[in-house]
Amino acid sequence: MTTLLLETHDLVKDYAIGGEIVHAVNNVSLSIARGEFVAIMGASGSGKSTFMNMIGCLDIPTSGTLLLDGIDTKTLDSDALAEIRNRKIGFVFQQFNLLARTSALDNVAVPLIYTGIGYTERRRRAQDRLEAMGLANRLQNTPAKLSGGQQQRVAIARALVTDPLMLLADEPTGALDTQISLDIMGIFQKLNDDGITVVLVTHEPDIAEYAARRIVFRDGQVIDDAAVKSRRRASAA
Amino acid sequence: MKDVLGSLAGWGVNVAIALTALRTNLMRSILTTLGVMIGVFSVILAVAVGNGAQVSVSQQIATLGSNMAIVVPQPDSGSGPPRPSDRGRLTERDGQAILREVSGVSTVAPQIRNSVQIVTPGRSATTQATGATPEYGVVSNITASEGRFLTQSDVGSAARVAVIGETVANKLFPETIPVGETIRINRVPFTVIGLLESKGSNLGNDNDDQIVVPITTLRQRLLTTAAQGPDDVTLIFVGFEDEDSLLSGQKEIERLLRDRYRVAKGKINPFTVRTTTEIAETTGEVTQIFQAVLVAIASISLLVGGIGIMNIMLVSVTERTREIGLRMALGAKRSDIRNQFLVEAAVLCVIGGAIGLSLAILAASIFERIAEFPAPIGLDTAILAVAFSAIIGLVFGGYPAIRASRLSPIEALRSE
Repeated sequence: MTTLLLETHDLVKDYAIGGEIVHAVNNVSLSIARGEFVAIMGASGSGKSTFMNMIGCLDIPTSGTLLLDGIDTKTLDSDALAEIRNRKIGFVFQQFNLLARTSALDNVAVPLIYTGIGYTERRRRAQDRLEAMGLANRLQNTPAKLSGGQQQRVAIARALVTDPLMLLADEPTGALDTQISLDIMGIFQKLNDDGITVVLVTHEPDIAEYAARRIVFRDGQVIDDAAVKSRRRASAA
Repeated sequence: MKDVLGSLAGWGVNVAIALTALRTNLMRSILTTLGVMIGVFSVILAVAVGNGAQVSVSQQIATLGSNMAIVVPQPDSGSGPPRPSDRGRLTERDGQAILREVSGVSTVAPQIRNSVQIVTPGRSATTQATGATPEYGVVSNITASEGRFLTQSDVGSAARVAVIGETVANKLFPETIPVGETIRINRVPFTVIGLLESKGSNLGNDNDDQIVVPITTLRQRLLTTAAQGPDDVTLIFVGFEDEDSLLSGQKEIERLLRDRYRVAKGKINPFTVRTTTEIAETTGEVTQIFQAVLVAIASISLLVGGIGIMNIMLVSVTERTREIGLRMALGAKRSDIRNQFLVEAAVLCVIGGAIGLSLAILAASIFERIAEFPAPIGLDTAILAVAFSAIIGLVFGGYPAIRASRLSPIEALRSE
């Protein structure tokens, strides 16, 4: 088994906007090994989000190769891609994307529905994850009754509930204030210490400093890819 | 096996998701359900009323008696002034000839029917008198619930006796059982010897509003018109041993009577021979058409209900595009998304169907009580209703559900 979790070769994503072809991602070749903590940086429109959507199997490359855990995603149909999203990838979004009017517990259990896990087991695993996020006394709260930081922790619990290989976080601190952002980065660092690969998309340079490796996009291409020199540590909340 | 259990569990989840979504937009869900409810309600009620008409008709046929032919004289309605030879005639001797010469005939019951006025001290009633023989009771399944029916000796002696129907009895003798009482029929005193067993009413026709007297007595004492011959009858009931001999017997009766009345070739019969089977068939056809028309009209409202479901499901899919994207990101397959919305539509429809069915049962029972018209709703109708509404859900929920499942995950997730 390879230690490479992710490999891209000449990855391209084109969009047709107003009759003109835009290369949102243009010939990107890179690899991410298991256990890395990567921050993908770039201005808006640099292609970082498009790149992340492709490695998250949410979007399909126009050309090029994407190997995920050794599997060429070109060969997969939509069901197989759904299965990869379900079992190998955990998503964390800027706007949390929790189901409204649904308890934290049920929100965290959603991915397990699609794994085919039974009701009781779903709830048990969801509860474990929420407790690990320090939300033991918030199980029945709906998103409306949770703070932003709490909502993002519920979302992280949801991302982790299927034991994925990789967390993909798209601007996870974008809607949070500095102190809460720090807490969230602490959680990511702790999870990374425990072995999970974290890929983080952000446009904030200081948030990127919590990662171990920084990849910078501009105009659909990687212009910089290096280890973070003075890495910051945040104590987990 | 594991797959089956897994998919069942999946459906359970979908029902839970559907119920949550429907509760979220409670008012909208109720209004949408209302459409299906009204549709199912009217379809079921139409089926019930149609069934009722059929039951009612077959009851009516049963009161006629089965395996029976009815011979009625039919005046020639052709051109030219009526001549005596044109007039349809039928006599008791025709009846005897039918009994003698047509195979499979078990009984003949010649009858004269006449409207009569009955008087008791203080009360009176107008009803139809049937002058008959004891065979009338046999052929048309009529017995006496009190007292007795006519006997051969009543007919032989032209006895002034009458068997009266329940409606007549209630008019004349509201408080007592009239057996043994004297009544005056067209001023002639008669003794009531029995009460006809009730045959109820069907389609507004009261079978108990009649009396039966010996055919001889009626002819001698109650006929006011002298125009008819001494042997003439109004009609003859011919009872057959079984259905097969009824079918062949109908033709034989026609041949025999044409012979007896020397009807020239090519001229139409001066009489008609109808069988209970024919009557049942034609009335059956009529009621079936009646039912089909009713159900067709009712189906339109069900169709409208279905379109309402489709409309609301399309709105629901559009509103929840982001949720669909999220679920896909979390691992939902296209089929999961499709099933989720299918179940939501089916739940709406089944709830509407169940309520519509309950209301239809209620309405049918009220209808039965008020209109005295049976409107039976059987288990089959009930199952049909619920299955039908689920199918409506699948058909009209199908398009929105498939549309939802075809969304691209990233575009759905990006939508606001």
